[in-house]
Amino acid sequence: MALSEQQRAEFEKRVRASEVVLFMKGNRRFPQCGFSATVVGILDKLGASYETVNILENQAIRDGMKEYSSWPTFPQLYVGGEFVGGCDIVKDMYSSGDLQRKLGAEARPVQAPRITISVAAATALKEAASGAAGDVLRLEIDPEYNADLHIAPRADGDIEVRSEGVALYVAGASSERADGIKIDFVNVPGGMAFKIDNPNEPPRVKPIHAPALKAMLDAGGIELFDVRPEDERKIASIAHAKPLDGEGQMLLSTLDKNKAIALHCHHGMRSRAAGEQLLRAGFTNVYNLEGGIEAWSRDVDPSVSRY
Amino acid sequence: MSDHPTDFAGDVCAAIRDAIKAKIPGARVEVTGGGGHYAIDVASAEFTGKTMLASQRIVYGAITHLMSGERAPVHAVDRLTTKAQ
Repeated sequence: MALSEQQRAEFEKRVRASEVVLFMKGNRRFPQCGFSATVVGILDKLGASYETVNILENQAIRDGMKEYSSWPTFPQLYVGGEFVGGCDIVKDMYSSGDLQRKLGAEARPVQAPRITISVAAATALKEAASGAAGDVLRLEIDPEYNADLHIAPRADGDIEVRSEGVALYVAGASSERADGIKIDFVNVPGGMAFKIDNPNEPPRVKPIHAPALKAMLDAGGIELFDVRPEDERKIASIAHAKPLDGEGQMLLSTLDKNKAIALHCHHGMRSRAAGEQLLRAGFTNVYNLEGGIEAWSRDVDPSVSRY
Repeated sequence: MSDHPTDFAGDVCAAIRDAIKAKIPGARVEVTGGGGHYAIDVASAEFTGKTMLASQRIVYGAITHLMSGERAPVHAVDRLTTKAQ
């Protein structure tokens, strides 16, 4: 397939849509191929700001970009409208430092994140750190927003942050993702644990137990969908739940993306997967009924038959 | 080895090797893999003084016809190395 002048001009616009554009399978939060995920990971590590184009959603872009870049695979990274390469090349340039230079990542000053440590957490952290000769308290937030609080030697690029008299060293690449974090020390089943609240964390499927879901349904403001197929729905169903069939999908498409949505299935596995899909589709407030209709029958409404 | 539907009949590794050698005469080419996924190592004087991007482009250019379309014999190149010699 050869591109016409006009098509070339269109692709030129796409690759210049912002300073850094990544043509990939999936998106930044949900890469759908290992090579794309690797490049996203590297760009995130560098704290680069970039735009992604999901080529799986558009066959014309997928075919056209192969031609435009003279490159048959994805991901494809563009910086300043210039093709940089695929996964191998990006990895290579990252380890040699060329990518950092290209993205101007070194020039960007890293801001110290704002971190709040509660009094209880400070006491526990001081105690934990007291036995660690030479090591420091470190915090790293990976590109998936998993927090890792640990005691280790101070690393290059660490930024020292103080709160409640505790010195915490935040990995430089994490600083943006760590900004605004609150660290507390709370009761959990079986003891005490650190609780890290990160306001930057992207929405996740929130687990909810049957009685809490019942209370939310009674209060209104949440929509419950049943992701099971018809044969299972015939055996047992929850009165408030709408099946996620054609009609349910239609209703879903009309809902505000910030509307609270709960999903259930038999035991909570299929509905969790469906919830991840809703997040991908842009919904931000998605709950999964833990234990599914089974838990509903056990904890809320015994008249719902179990199967 | 994953199952990968293709209309291509014959030895895909050999087809990749032949296509690259036709484009870069005298190149040493090693191809391994199957099921749509291949690893390719190429050594040639052709790559001397060229960037990794330019070198890989030459190789990809040689096998584009094996990689286009949903039922292409080559679904992914898991590893591509180009060595100047």
